[in-house]
Amino acid sequence: MTCTLGEVKQRADFIVYWGGNPAECHPRHFTKYTIMQKSKFLPRGRKDRTMVMVDIRETKSAKAANIFLQVKPGKDFELITILRALIKDQQVGDEQIAETGLTREALDDLVQRMKSCKFGCFFFGMGLSMTRGKHMNSAALLTLAAEMNAFTKFVAMPMRGHGNVTGADVIMRWQTGYPFGITFNRGYPRYNPGEFSTVDVLVRGDCDAAFIIGADPGATMPQPAINHLKRIPTICLDPHVTHTSKLARVHITTAAQGISAPGTAYRMDEIPMPLKPALKSPYPTDEEVVRRINEAIAQKPFWLPEGSQPQMISTQV
Amino acid sequence: MTVTLHLKQPPSVPLEAEVLSPNVMAELSNSEIRSLVVYHGKRQVPLEEFFDVEGERSDELILHGELTKVRMIGRAMSSGSITVHGSVGMHLGARMTGGSIEVHGDASDWIGAEMMNGFIHVHGNAGGQIGAAYRGALAGMKNGTIIVDGAAGLEVGMRMRRGTIILGGPAVDFTGLQMKGGTIILLSGAEIRTGAWMNRGTIISLKPLQMMPTFAYASDFNPTFVNVYTKRLKQFGINLPFTASQGAYQRYSGDLSVPGKGEILVWQPA
Repeated sequence: MTCTLGEVKQRADFIVYWGGNPAECHPRHFTKYTIMQKSKFLPRGRKDRTMVMVDIRETKSAKAANIFLQVKPGKDFELITILRALIKDQQVGDEQIAETGLTREALDDLVQRMKSCKFGCFFFGMGLSMTRGKHMNSAALLTLAAEMNAFTKFVAMPMRGHGNVTGADVIMRWQTGYPFGITFNRGYPRYNPGEFSTVDVLVRGDCDAAFIIGADPGATMPQPAINHLKRIPTICLDPHVTHTSKLARVHITTAAQGISAPGTAYRMDEIPMPLKPALKSPYPTDEEVVRRINEAIAQKPFWLPEGSQPQMISTQV
Repeated sequence: MTVTLHLKQPPSVPLEAEVLSPNVMAELSNSEIRSLVVYHGKRQVPLEEFFDVEGERSDELILHGELTKVRMIGRAMSSGSITVHGSVGMHLGARMTGGSIEVHGDASDWIGAEMMNGFIHVHGNAGGQIGAAYRGALAGMKNGTIIVDGAAGLEVGMRMRRGTIILGGPAVDFTGLQMKGGTIILLSGAEIRTGAWMNRGTIISLKPLQMMPTFAYASDFNPTFVNVYTKRLKQFGINLPFTASQGAYQRYSGDLSVPGKGEILVWQPA
């Protein structure tokens, strides 16, 4: 259940930010898309919209909100599950609600507002998706948004980070059917996050080489993953010197996308945006480097014995 | 007569060896077993490159060695037995329909995932997603029994439909997530979010649990099915208390958010 930011700008009269700080991390989000804009359906702009902020602490974004709900750290999944029960008129005890740091009145008011709005939208950030529970916290909010469609139009959208992270997911999805955590070792894509996702592969030490484009796992991943990157031949493509490029065996400097190299970036609502370079760069683009590596690999012999094909797992049962 | 395999050296990257199954070995001669294809990363290699093989034509398999990077052992097996002396990798006994697996060591994630029937006993610790549904699938294990003597990881019994999982050690979060049926027995309890979003099924815990807020306390009682379970589980040295003189089970029902008819029974000694 998602939509474009254009739809949010035109129609969303109820906006919830969950576990993010858009005032400081996505500073143009409020003014360009969500709460400040006037539209045909919301002619009075900010006055026609309600904004709710759910977070564990009162950030700058909370000042922009009509309602601020301070949830206890690590209780997001519980709170969303309570909301899923409340929208179906199930009885949840006061004691259980109090454990999340909120009151029954606040939740009843929230549920009533959610049900009576015309177009609701959840935006969720790393405060939800990167805390204990991880993907299940996001799954909980997405399920809540899906279930709210029994009453009114509701969507959910992740607040994606810097760079073109959405683009990587989108391209993998239309090429393979899966957004990430894919292996091709049997000749066809297989998907299993936790088994094939980058951080887990590195932490377990399951790979014997790494090729990193436009990312800095050396700064963000846990120490065992970084140690493994140091052990194996790591190739890094990046315009800058990063933590990853320092530990990499090979660092190829490339032109910066959008500044000195053209390309397409995907906005957080998966809308492709063309990038026009303003400057010239002496360095090759990522695309050119990958194409030349591919050409070199094509010169090598096929990795399987002559005449054989990779076998699908199910055919061997 | 058995087929005995010794790992020569641990693989450097995961070795996908779904041929390590009694169904495959039962009709093959020693040389045919040696030339079975396994996947070392993306490369096809004969089994003998990683294993010393003794014996032939048997549905009793004995594996020795540090097999933590060897995946899919006993995948989709329907009969026979596998005994492992050492630790095993992911997907042990996934989608199996019969037979038994015994591991004298630790196991990894996804053991018995989507199994239809059969028996898995891990004497050490196990990973997460035991008897679970693969990502995108609606139902996990459909029947059979999994016993883990040690601790377990995340999402044990996720979306399981039937069957029994018994954990001797503690589990982490999301035990019985979205359960649709079956039984999970926790002898040492679990961390948080046990039974989250469960539709049906039973979770029995002998240690106090931190309940999800969407579970409602129903009653204290001593269900008769527990003594039937105990009779069956005694052969594995597992004793569930069931008499009223020992105590009672607190029954919590939920998950209200689904809304589901699952139950969590928490033992309260008298």
